[in-house]
Amino acid sequence: MNAIFALVFLASASLCLVLAPDAFLPALLKGGEKAVTLSVALLAVYCVWLGFFKVLESSGLAEKLTKRLFPLSKRIFRSDDKEALFAATSNLTANFLGLPGAPTPLGIRATQKFCEAKNDYAADMLFVLNATSLQLLPVTVIALRASLGSAAPYDIILPTLAATLISTLLGALLVRLTARRRNARQKIRRRRNA
Amino acid sequence: MKYPALILPVLFLAVFVYALVKKVKLYDSFTAGVKEAIPLVVSIFPYLAAILMLSELFEQSGLSRILTNALAPAFRFLGIPPEIAKLVLMKPFSGSGSTALLSEIMATYGADSYIARCACVAYGSSETVFYISAVYFAGIKYKKLAKPVLIALFVNFITVILGCLFCRFM
Repeated sequence: MNAIFALVFLASASLCLVLAPDAFLPALLKGGEKAVTLSVALLAVYCVWLGFFKVLESSGLAEKLTKRLFPLSKRIFRSDDKEALFAATSNLTANFLGLPGAPTPLGIRATQKFCEAKNDYAADMLFVLNATSLQLLPVTVIALRASLGSAAPYDIILPTLAATLISTLLGALLVRLTARRRNARQKIRRRRNA
Repeated sequence: MKYPALILPVLFLAVFVYALVKKVKLYDSFTAGVKEAIPLVVSIFPYLAAILMLSELFEQSGLSRILTNALAPAFRFLGIPPEIAKLVLMKPFSGSGSTALLSEIMATYGADSYIARCACVAYGSSETVFYISAVYFAGIKYKKLAKPVLIALFVNFITVILGCLFCRFM
C-alpha cells in the first residue's frame, strides 16, 4: 500500500505541477471533505448494524449459526477462532444478500481477529472474497437503471452473477495457490536450517 | 426494489424477538453495540482520508484521463468497450466517483445499450479494492498487503472482460 500510495501520489502531483497547479490543493481538500462526509454517513450505518449485531450476539443466535457453519468456514479460512469465523461468514452472507453497510464492520472485526492470530491466509481470503463482490442482486445498479429509463433493469443480473461467480472462484484459487507456495518455501527453509 | 425492503425488517424482527425470548435486555445490548461505532469510525478515518485524497488527485490531475486514453486499445483488444475504460480504472479507488460515471454512461448511450450494460456489469461485479483494503486493514501492521490487493485487482479485471463477453449473448 505504501508503494501504491507513493507511486500514484507522485505521478498525479507531478502531472498537476505541469498541467494544472491550481487544481492541486482543491483536489486534496475535496478528498478530505469527502472523507469527513463519508465518515459521518458510515457512523450512522455502523450505529445501526453494530447495535443489531450486539443483540444477535447476546441472544446466543450468533454462536448457534456459527456452529452450524463451522465445518465449512473452518475450511475456507483455515482458522479455529469462533468469533472471527462468525464475523467472516456473516460478512460474506451480508455481502451476498447486499445488505447495505452491514458487511464492513463485520469484515473489519474478522480481519483484526485473523491478523491478531497471525493468520494472514484467512485475512487475505476474506479480503479477496469481499473484493470480488459476489452478490445475489446488484441493487444499486438495478435502481439506477430503472431510474434512467431502462426497459429491462433486471437483465444485467445474469451476466453479473456469472462473471462474479467465476472471479470469486478464481480469486479464492489464487489465494490458495500463493499461500501454498509460501508454505512450501518456508518448509524448505526450515529444512535447510535444520 | 421490493426485495431488500422486505428482508431488513424481517431480519431485525426475527432477531429481536428471538433475543426477547432468550431474555436479553434489548436496550442495554443494542446501545452497547452502538458504543463501538465511534471508535471504529475514528480508527478507519485516517486511511479513508488518505485514499479519498489520492483518488481525487488521481482524477483532477488528469492522470486518470491519460491512463484511460493509453489503455483504450488494450481494452478494445480484450473486448471491453473503450467508453467504459474510465469506469474500470475508477472503480478500485472510489465508489461514489464510479457511481457518477455509471449514470453518466447510461445517460449518454442509453440505459439499454450494449455499452451501458457492459458498464453496469463492470460496476456491479467489481469492488472498490483500495477503499476496502484501507478500511479492512486499518491500523494493522500488515506486511503483505500487496499480494491480496494485486489478486483482487487482477480478478476484478478478469470479471470485467468476462462480463462484457457475457453481455453479448445474455
